[in-house]
Amino acid sequence: MKKTMAYSMVSLLLVTSLAACGSNNESANNDKDAAANANSNTTANGGTNGSAPANEGSADAGGDADISGKVVFLTNRTDMVDKEYKDYETRFEAKYPKVDLQFEAITDYDKNEKIRIASGSFPDVVLLSTLIPNAEFPKYFEPLDDITFEGDIYFKDFKSFEGKSYGISSGNSTVGIVYNKKAFEKAGITAIPKTYDEFLAAAQKLKDAGIVPLASNFKDKWPLGAWYNDVPAIISGKADTANNRKDTDTPFTLDNTYGKSFSIIKELYAKGFLEKDVNSTNWEQSKKDVAQGKFGMYLLGNWVINQVVDAGAKTEDVGFFPFPADNSGQAKAPLNPDWFYGVNKDGNVPAAKAFIKWMIEESGYDDFAGFIPTLKSKEPKLAQLTEFNGYKPTFVEALPTDDTALSIQNKAQIDMDGLVQEFVLAKDPQKVLDKVNGQWAKARKEIVK
Amino acid sequence: MLNNLSFKKQRLLIILGFTIVPLLLLLTFSYYPTLELIHLSFTNWDGLSPDKSWIGWDNYKEVFSNSELFGVFTHNFAYFAVGIVQNIAAIYFAIVLNGKLRGKLFFRLLLFLPYILNGVAVSYLFGYVFDTTQGSLNLLLHAIGLNGDTSWLGNETFVNYTLASIGFWKFMGFNMVIYLAALQSIPADLYEAASIDGATGWKQFLYITLPNIYKIIELNFFLTVTGALEVFDLPFVLTNGGPAGSSETYVMKILETAFQFNNYGLASAMSVVLLLFVVVVLSIQRLIFSRKGE
Repeated sequence: MKKTMAYSMVSLLLVTSLAACGSNNESANNDKDAAANANSNTTANGGTNGSAPANEGSADAGGDADISGKVVFLTNRTDMVDKEYKDYETRFEAKYPKVDLQFEAITDYDKNEKIRIASGSFPDVVLLSTLIPNAEFPKYFEPLDDITFEGDIYFKDFKSFEGKSYGISSGNSTVGIVYNKKAFEKAGITAIPKTYDEFLAAAQKLKDAGIVPLASNFKDKWPLGAWYNDVPAIISGKADTANNRKDTDTPFTLDNTYGKSFSIIKELYAKGFLEKDVNSTNWEQSKKDVAQGKFGMYLLGNWVINQVVDAGAKTEDVGFFPFPADNSGQAKAPLNPDWFYGVNKDGNVPAAKAFIKWMIEESGYDDFAGFIPTLKSKEPKLAQLTEFNGYKPTFVEALPTDDTALSIQNKAQIDMDGLVQEFVLAKDPQKVLDKVNGQWAKARKEIVK
Repeated sequence: MLNNLSFKKQRLLIILGFTIVPLLLLLTFSYYPTLELIHLSFTNWDGLSPDKSWIGWDNYKEVFSNSELFGVFTHNFAYFAVGIVQNIAAIYFAIVLNGKLRGKLFFRLLLFLPYILNGVAVSYLFGYVFDTTQGSLNLLLHAIGLNGDTSWLGNETFVNYTLASIGFWKFMGFNMVIYLAALQSIPADLYEAASIDGATGWKQFLYITLPNIYKIIELNFFLTVTGALEVFDLPFVLTNGGPAGSSETYVMKILETAFQFNNYGLASAMSVVLLLFVVVVLSIQRLIFSRKGE
């Protein structure tokens, strides 16, 4: 009896553990379909390209006869379904009466979209997953160069391959210091810090007033992204730090841009300007704490402003200024794209393009999301962004990720968030850098031949 | 139609009819994916591109030569160590709650309840317990006059033990219930005869209880060992592998390799290695137990 039970438990466990391994393989199957699909796509290619110019005219005219049929937008904003999207649908269909606009919302967008694309059939308008390399775009997506916008747009060539652009940024954001004005007042900070020394002095004042100066959310890893993406851009004034790594065997040194950026957070940590225990932080709680003035600042994107307001802060109490990473007094700020719209080349291309144009120019989505609009001429609605622009920052436009640099990083299995954590906590940061440089050099040898 | 067939054929038909469905399910959802997994582990597939090239044993070489990958198994030791304590505690509670005790059903329920809770929910719950500044554990320690500043989840030396203690809380009741079932199958007259012969409680435990629940101990150890090797949800939710990777587990590494670094081939190889590792550890355990048991 006991034996049977033991055996049945064992087999049950084996079955469940095997089933768990299965998820990888499902996408393997899909992949075969995708391969078949890709082949049929190349044959159909001539046709699709040929019809593109005809669509261009109609996209401009607006409400033209060509724009009809069903168009589905695969979105990541599950919160907007049946709310804002309902309104978008009514307004868009009023402009293009022959179109039936539908929204499909999914979570964990990056991974799920990849599986959908690999399966060979996916909605007409999608957000381009960051997991898809630019070189793969022509296989699945339609070039979008022929959409004519009212004016210049940001990141026109960010998602391009061989001179054709496949993605339009849905909105853009910058990174800086989001702060609680009441907390600054309480600590006696009268002027916004414009240099790094002033920033440290302000942090000290906050600390003396019993306020945690900067909420790093160290434990959750992803909030550390600013320290290897954005602060390096602020320090160097160029957004090429990550891409330049492909040309060197030692991309991480104490005196280069990465080292300088990591050293800033290490200094803040050493001086006690971060949370009391950085390994025990709570993201949701931190928003409330910033809203209530228990925490003074965040170094994050402008997207967090609305969330702090939602957590109970008054809009007028939340401010936003460029992070002074050096003592030059020159305000600099990175400009990063959010998701990019892409169009399925086998979908309803004319309607999809009209939809993207409409989303950028008329929907008001950028204001709703608190973005810096993709149209360069359009002013952001968010009050904090107006304040931010008041400091006259030079915007450092992000560059597309270099595929070589990315594949070296993946091959070397370097987790950048983990690297920042290790650097900050290490007694000897040089050792940490030596270790990752070793990993990097080894992987680089295999990738760059 | 069935009447025309002989009894033997009818029986065969019915057996086949009943087994084919579960067998098909098993083959499509367990064995086929496993074979694909093994196949993938010999390729350099990136998860998207249609071409998968065969790279032989390279992935396996990488798994064993890269200490970053295989080295995380040392983190699992804490779960294993706590798992042993957990089993001892489970036997203890099973024996106590098997005896004459007021409200024993209530206590059994109380100890078993954590097992029913969802693993992620448990992790969140303990996030509030172990929080350094506002956690209930540190508040309690502070209230009774002890140092209430310990960073339970931020100390590289014992973060894994902190996490494993949550596993203890969650799975001890489950082990206990299995032991209880085994204890209840031991005939009471054995104890009666032993006590007439003058055996003490400890002697009874050593010579009657233990040999009788031997097989169940083996089963529980099997569950503990595989659980320790495959632990995932606790560190994933609570520490994200931190501080600085000291609570990362092997399964987290697999996930990271596949979905963050897009290296599905290597991740598949890691999964196969984990599978083999479980089999090896199990065989060793089986060897030790059967030698002592027979």
